[in-house]
Amino acid sequence: MEYEIEEKSAPGREKVEVLGATYEAGKPDGEGLGRWRQKLSSREEKLKYLRAGERYWYGKDWYGSEKRKNPA
Amino acid sequence: MAGGKIKKSIDEASLEMIDKAAQDGVTTAFDRAEEMSQCAIGAAGSCCKNCGMGPCRVLTFKGQEKAARGICGATAETIAARNFIRMVAGGAAAHSDHGRGVTELFLAMAKGKAPGYEIRDEQKLLQLALEWGVEIGGRSNQEIAIDVGEIALAEFGKQEGELVTLSRAPLKRQELWQREGVAPRGIDREIVEIMHRTHIGVDQDYHNLLKQGVRAAIGDGWGGSMIATELQDILFGTPAPVLGRVNLGVLKQDEVNLIIHGHEPLLSEMIVAVAQDPQMLELAKSKGSNGINISGMCCTANEILMRHGVPIAGNFLQQELAIVTGAVDAMVVDIQCIMQSIATVAECYHTKIITTSPKAKIPGATHIEFDEHNALEGARTIVKTAIENFPNRGSNIWIPDKQTDMVAGFSHETINYLLGGLFRASYRPLNDNIINGRIRGVAGVVGCNNARAKHNEGHVTMVKELIKNDVLVITTGCNAIACGEAGLMVPEAAVEYAGEGLASVCETVGIPPVLHMGSCVDNSRILMAATAMVKDGGLGDDISDLPVAGAAPEWMSEKAISIGQYFVASGVFTVFGVTWPTIGNDEVTRHLFEDFEAMYGGMWAFEPDSIKAAHLMISHIDKKREALGIDKARERVLYDMEMRRELDAV
Repeated sequence: MEYEIEEKSAPGREKVEVLGATYEAGKPDGEGLGRWRQKLSSREEKLKYLRAGERYWYGKDWYGSEKRKNPA
Repeated sequence: MAGGKIKKSIDEASLEMIDKAAQDGVTTAFDRAEEMSQCAIGAAGSCCKNCGMGPCRVLTFKGQEKAARGICGATAETIAARNFIRMVAGGAAAHSDHGRGVTELFLAMAKGKAPGYEIRDEQKLLQLALEWGVEIGGRSNQEIAIDVGEIALAEFGKQEGELVTLSRAPLKRQELWQREGVAPRGIDREIVEIMHRTHIGVDQDYHNLLKQGVRAAIGDGWGGSMIATELQDILFGTPAPVLGRVNLGVLKQDEVNLIIHGHEPLLSEMIVAVAQDPQMLELAKSKGSNGINISGMCCTANEILMRHGVPIAGNFLQQELAIVTGAVDAMVVDIQCIMQSIATVAECYHTKIITTSPKAKIPGATHIEFDEHNALEGARTIVKTAIENFPNRGSNIWIPDKQTDMVAGFSHETINYLLGGLFRASYRPLNDNIINGRIRGVAGVVGCNNARAKHNEGHVTMVKELIKNDVLVITTGCNAIACGEAGLMVPEAAVEYAGEGLASVCETVGIPPVLHMGSCVDNSRILMAATAMVKDGGLGDDISDLPVAGAAPEWMSEKAISIGQYFVASGVFTVFGVTWPTIGNDEVTRHLFEDFEAMYGGMWAFEPDSIKAAHLMISHIDKKREALGIDKARERVLYDMEMRRELDAV
């Protein structure tokens, strides 16, 4: 990968050269790539993920912003 | 669009085909929009044709507002409100009937009566089972699916209580809906009640009429559309990022081109499968082609792109233009947004138009009815029809050499996963980056094309302006396709078009600045993403607290009005472009644009200039940031133990 060099400055500091942003093609290809849900194979794993990853709706101990003591 | 000729599209491929159509003597929607001026009274929402005494034209002039009445005495306000909520009813009915069709197929699959279909996403099935109290235990997926399907089907005809899916919304939003009396009892009931209330001599209070419009729209977004999305995910897989291509250049000179156009993925999934059948490929070769090239149009395109990577030929205003290439051997359609004129355009070329839904037939088209019990056979017949038509192509073929890469398939579950992986999936990084200001806010930009405006210009201009100002855009429908054609849906677009803050987040996560979330029923995914942002915390207690906004810059369908209404009813400031259906009545428009904010936390706005509309959205986002206290960078203070003790003592 080729990096672009960018010059950055900050208040009270001299200009420095840093590696610039890199945007790789970043496009998924190949069958199955990106299909993350297939990584969970058993029903138990799926239920566990729902309770943890999707805790907003399925986690029993989730205590989100909307349940706080003092409303925003 | 008042007066004068307008340049018809910002898309070069479309412009090439508009020119070719003119050379071939073919009339398209672009020509008809120029030739036919809009009815000014109807466009303003001031015409009532709900009974045989009318149509009554009830125009309000300065100083004579109270004098304007229909023959029955209905005021201009009543008429404008009736017309508006009838549009909501039309849109909600379309989405919800789609949802019902999916549910019926889902149940048939669960009962083993729909060969070829299966459960592709067990996790989504388990999600619904957990939510709806369906026993999981050691039961088979099929057993669970029957219970889930029956609950879903009952939602359409339910008469009392409220929809089960409303429990997904933030708690504060649910309380608001109950307080305002707009929690839908059943999906169909609220639509039917609109038709009743807008009949002559029934509901004649515009406040009350518009309230019912809100109720029916919630039944669409949080009901019919959401059920459609969820069950489609179980049947065909929850979308995950996939690379696709978009625009008319995806058509192939040397292959059988079959375009799937419409909205439901039920048949298209089967066609995609059949097109890979070696027997079909052999048949295609025997007719002189090098293969079978499936591509999509409109929302069906979004569905099959995000699940299979099947390329998109175009959006709503490109359906006729695809046929004008002369290279489309068959266009198979199901429901919604299908122009009757495709059959007329097809007469000038060799294209076969195939209708498949008993609800949507077109004179001049071949009808091959979709039967879920025999879907594979139907799909084979359709693919075979396209193949056999390949030798009939004329010599007048011109495929524009224009196509763009796009990454599609950002379901709200996938965004959650992308921001933290399997072990720490979370919306926290999104919320944190909104709080720290790298991302200013989130905008849902959706909707149709409208031949009264330059094709794709409103969509692309608005989205570019938003991302330039660090607003992350999530999109569906024809806006998604327009953004894809403009090259905004690849990660590299962040460096070219996005503001510095948004670009840095896109680079870190590896996402485009514009996230494709699916078809128009998938606007329900946007509701779920917004809810996840609320539930994760730090950005208020309700969707109306979030620094978010919605827009449909090129809307034209009743579905768009229903979508906009459920965005507003969910607490989102929503701007529409091109035209506004109550513009002829100040009182009704003011109620929708101003009073709704106090009632629902979200309100409508109308701004045909896409840059100005984007700035209205940004101003609203900034207003919400200020209310949350995240509008200014704050100095971080590291608390030592003494400071903590002082804090505890307070």
